Amino acid sequence: MEIKLNTDVLSDNNAAAMHNRKQFSNTKTLVINVMSSPGAGKTTLLEKTVKALQGKYRIGVIEGDLATQKDADRIRATGAKAVQINTHGGCHLDARMIAKVLPSFDLNQIDILFIENVGNLVCPSGYDLGQSHKIAVLSVPEGNDKIPKYPTMFNRTEMVILNKIDLLPMVDFSVEEAVEDLNGLNPNSRLISLSAKTEEGMSEWIQWIEEAYQKCAVQRL
Amino acid sequence: MHEIALMGDILNIVVRDMEEKSLHQVKKITLLVGDLSNAMPDALRMAFDIYKVDQKDWIHPDATLQIEHESAKAQCIFCNTFYVPDVKIALCPECNMPGGKLIQGETFQIISYEGD
Repeated sequence: MEIKLNTDVLSDNNAAAMHNRKQFSNTKTLVINVMSSPGAGKTTLLEKTVKALQGKYRIGVIEGDLATQKDADRIRATGAKAVQINTHGGCHLDARMIAKVLPSFDLNQIDILFIENVGNLVCPSGYDLGQSHKIAVLSVPEGNDKIPKYPTMFNRTEMVILNKIDLLPMVDFSVEEAVEDLNGLNPNSRLISLSAKTEEGMSEWIQWIEEAYQKCAVQRL
Repeated sequence: MHEIALMGDILNIVVRDMEEKSLHQVKKITLLVGDLSNAMPDALRMAFDIYKVDQKDWIHPDATLQIEHESAKAQCIFCNTFYVPDVKIALCPECNMPGGKLIQGETFQIISYEGD
């Protein structure tokens, strides 16, 4: 016999994401899901971001990689609490993986939680983790064609961090073209140019996080 | 490429429903896959064939996977034109303003299954 389901394939993930979101809301934790291709500089950006926010906010980081503890070790060196998820071949993080590691944190003691997704511009964009904000990191050596080539990623994120701008004189990358491409794909997305390495432009990004944190605290009062 | 994991999710949902209805074997699964869902129909078919061999106890050897396709569609918030989005999803081909909102094409659903 034929049985109608009309069920979203990602419904199990979405239910787990809602559950995570409820926990984050209860503890007033701002959660930012950071996605990019491998090597765009997510971990360096987070190292510098943690250093800039430390002292004022209590920070936690979840690191997603196929293998190794390398990224979590780099974050731990800043003094922030970091937990590594190894996906063993999996190309993205899902909400159930996040739920599994949340008990490692005392969320009441975490103001801002960053989730560094597996380096991949395709699959991570489809999985809700329960985050407050989804952002993409793009680095200038990757070239201008990344934005039009990966429309679902840039359509589903609300901000693009254009990283490694210290390399602009060495590579053929047009910031103007990137802004134009992004506008055509998602006019609500915003682009912040910075170099995590030299820290040029970092203040705009830090200010955005602080404003997002204020908003999320106010919404929950 | 995460179609193996996606097919695992699909089969989990189906097997859970079959258990509720005391069904033992699945013969057909019908999916609806949007152009912008990031799921590739051919890879889903391959994943289905892999699971078919691996889980013979409840997937019939001749079980089929039917995939219905949902095309992408957007509507401009400025001039209300409906259009098929190109690479620049939000750019309206009619008024050239970046105000297009996706209204179709991201769906990824299990429509139905046949079991006994």
